[in-house]
Amino acid sequence: MGADSGPGAPAPVPWRKVLYERQPFPDNYVDRRFLEELRRNIRVRQYRYWAVVRETGLIAQQVSCVALFLTLWSCMERGALVPSAVLWVCLACALLGYGLYEILGGSCVRERTRLADLQSATIFLAFTFGFSPVLKTLTESVSTDTVYAMSAVMLLAHLVSFPYAQPSPPGSLSLNAALFGSVCLASRLPGALHTFTMLSCALLVFALWPCLLHRMREKAEWSFPWAAVLVCLAGVGGLGSLWPEGALLLALALLTLTLVCPLLLVHLQRHKDNIHGPWDEAEIREDLSRFLN
Amino acid sequence: MGHRKRGHTHAPKPPPSLDTHSSNSLRLSDHEQGLKHRICMVSDFFYPNMGGVESHIYQLSQCLIEKGHKVVIATHAYGDRRGIRYLINGLKVYYLPLQVMYNQSTATTCFHSLPLLRCVFVRERISIVHAHSSFSAMAHDALFHAKTMGLNTVFTDHSLFGFADLSSVLTNKLLTVSLCDTNHIVCVSYTSKENTVLRAALDPEIVSVIPNAVDPTDFTPDPCRRDNNKITIVVISRLVYRKGIDLLSGIIPELCAKHPDLCFLIGGEGPKRIILEEVREKYQLHDRVRLLGALDHKDVRDVLVQGHIFLNTSLTEAFCMAIVEGASCGLQVVSTRVGGIPEVLPDELVTLCEPSVHSICDGLETVIARIRTGNVASPANIHRKVRTLYTWRNVAERTEKVYNRVCREPVLPLSARLHRLRSHCGAVAGSIFSFVAVINFIFLLFLQWLRPDHLIDVAIDSSGPQSRMGQHLSKKKSKAPNPAVS
Repeated sequence: MGADSGPGAPAPVPWRKVLYERQPFPDNYVDRRFLEELRRNIRVRQYRYWAVVRETGLIAQQVSCVALFLTLWSCMERGALVPSAVLWVCLACALLGYGLYEILGGSCVRERTRLADLQSATIFLAFTFGFSPVLKTLTESVSTDTVYAMSAVMLLAHLVSFPYAQPSPPGSLSLNAALFGSVCLASRLPGALHTFTMLSCALLVFALWPCLLHRMREKAEWSFPWAAVLVCLAGVGGLGSLWPEGALLLALALLTLTLVCPLLLVHLQRHKDNIHGPWDEAEIREDLSRFLN
Repeated sequence: MGHRKRGHTHAPKPPPSLDTHSSNSLRLSDHEQGLKHRICMVSDFFYPNMGGVESHIYQLSQCLIEKGHKVVIATHAYGDRRGIRYLINGLKVYYLPLQVMYNQSTATTCFHSLPLLRCVFVRERISIVHAHSSFSAMAHDALFHAKTMGLNTVFTDHSLFGFADLSSVLTNKLLTVSLCDTNHIVCVSYTSKENTVLRAALDPEIVSVIPNAVDPTDFTPDPCRRDNNKITIVVISRLVYRKGIDLLSGIIPELCAKHPDLCFLIGGEGPKRIILEEVREKYQLHDRVRLLGALDHKDVRDVLVQGHIFLNTSLTEAFCMAIVEGASCGLQVVSTRVGGIPEVLPDELVTLCEPSVHSICDGLETVIARIRTGNVASPANIHRKVRTLYTWRNVAERTEKVYNRVCREPVLPLSARLHRLRSHCGAVAGSIFSFVAVINFIFLLFLQWLRPDHLIDVAIDSSGPQSRMGQHLSKKKSKAPNPAVS
């Protein structure tokens, strides 16, 4: 038994995959059972193109949400929109959305009472209204370019870190990035009421809308593509009123995202080569936190 | 050119067919008992760091010295410990001043260790460089430089790796580059061989399986030390995710509820200790679960003999030394069936379970029931069986065969090496490392001009056939403490 592969006669005993016995084979012997437990691609999902396109609707609509938010901000900054009007529209949308959420989630057990919801809404509105003069002067000493750059980075971070797999509740990093970006932008507006309005809109768009969308997907599957398309069109249209070239770019980006990227994903699946075997680290398939809770 | 300079040293390396110590040895025979090699073991991991790789290198070197070879170890400096140290039997260790980056592994630039390693290889007239552990950057560096200098190379891999995530992909590519022109590779289990062959795209004929071993005199049973009123389960491992400590946190409450006389003894330290403390706190098991913290290697046996059952919950292992140590101390072994563990112990010495809380609990229940009815072998019997299974002398004998085979093989000259790198390692990595190999070669030529080989003092051997120390030792052949010769 050694590291020579000399031409010996094949031993009558079969080779066994054990180390505790001295076997009459050289150490570098390669049995025909070598790599017999190798498995390739056992957990590969088969993607279908249109199903993937449907899923990318979520990403596209989130990008359009950001575009819509920026349009709103730009309109308020130019003075094309009056803050009180926007505020009333926001309130109406919020109530409508809440009603829709309740109707769709009729059979679900409520985690929070309506009173608790009302309380958190009141607290938020009160504090934001009270602090809006402070927030307005937040970036007074910062140059405009820096503010725009910071907001752009924050909104990009929001898009990148958004939990597309589980959008409700929205992830902490993405929500915080979005709100920080909106605070930076809101502080550039002419008045304290503008700031308050902007922040309420930001909350609606970035915190509450994903929850409603997720509920719509769960309960009324057919409505999700329509909602996504509507938001995308609104985003492109809104941007078009400001900056037509930008709207064209956005439309192009959305089309690439929704149509070309799924094609790539489905096409590249053929190159997948996952190797599985006894050397893999075992996965713990149970929830062990039950022993600690 | 880099390969031929050795002719200028004082005692040129004898060609394999003419051995000065056994002139009757057959040329190219399978049993070249007379052929003694000059081996340099290189790894980042060596004493004073404690671990499996460290003790493997030490024990293997000692057994090879006992067989008459010359062995030198090169590792990086540990704190103040730098320079040359001599261990028992003339084992010389070079603690080279290379900067440690993370987890006892040095930084690598592929070049900066060449002068130091060249000095070691030329001074000691090394013929074979044996590198250990894929995690060690110094080992890969040494392989790279050894090939540039025209020395034969052997690599031993001690661990299993995945394939799927980004770090694995990059590490496997580096391993492919490192091993594509290495003469021979040694793995510690058949599963590890399959894993390494897939990772580095190797020819399986050049991979040998030589298992680890345990020194049975260090791990002897002592049934008087355990409390027979209770059943004690011993767990000794680093408390990290990879060792399945999460499973342990599920097993402890379940079994302690069912068996009032059961207790756990857990040795080792790590980030998952907090989970065990939480479980202990929640179920009020303070008198039944003892956390001993980090254990010195010499204390491990004392903890093991206090138990009836040794539990191993690892999620992946190439060759689990711990279960052999536990069995050698006479404990009943219960382990997860992962990696190379099914190959290590025969069925009567180990109970294997799937890596889930339920399965391990079932396995433990079976063993506990057997212990209660007295239907288990005595610790002395188990120790006697395990003693003969894995010995360091057997490992050394098999490694010697690897060296005998390796020293007959040619080392690839530079042109062939570049061709192999580019053809075997892919276009991008192959080209990059071909470039690095060429620069390494030019650097070697520069060093040979700056300080030629014949001007480097040859070190006095402290082990091997020409050793000064060996003359005293051969006179009094010390009685081997390990009578299990295989």
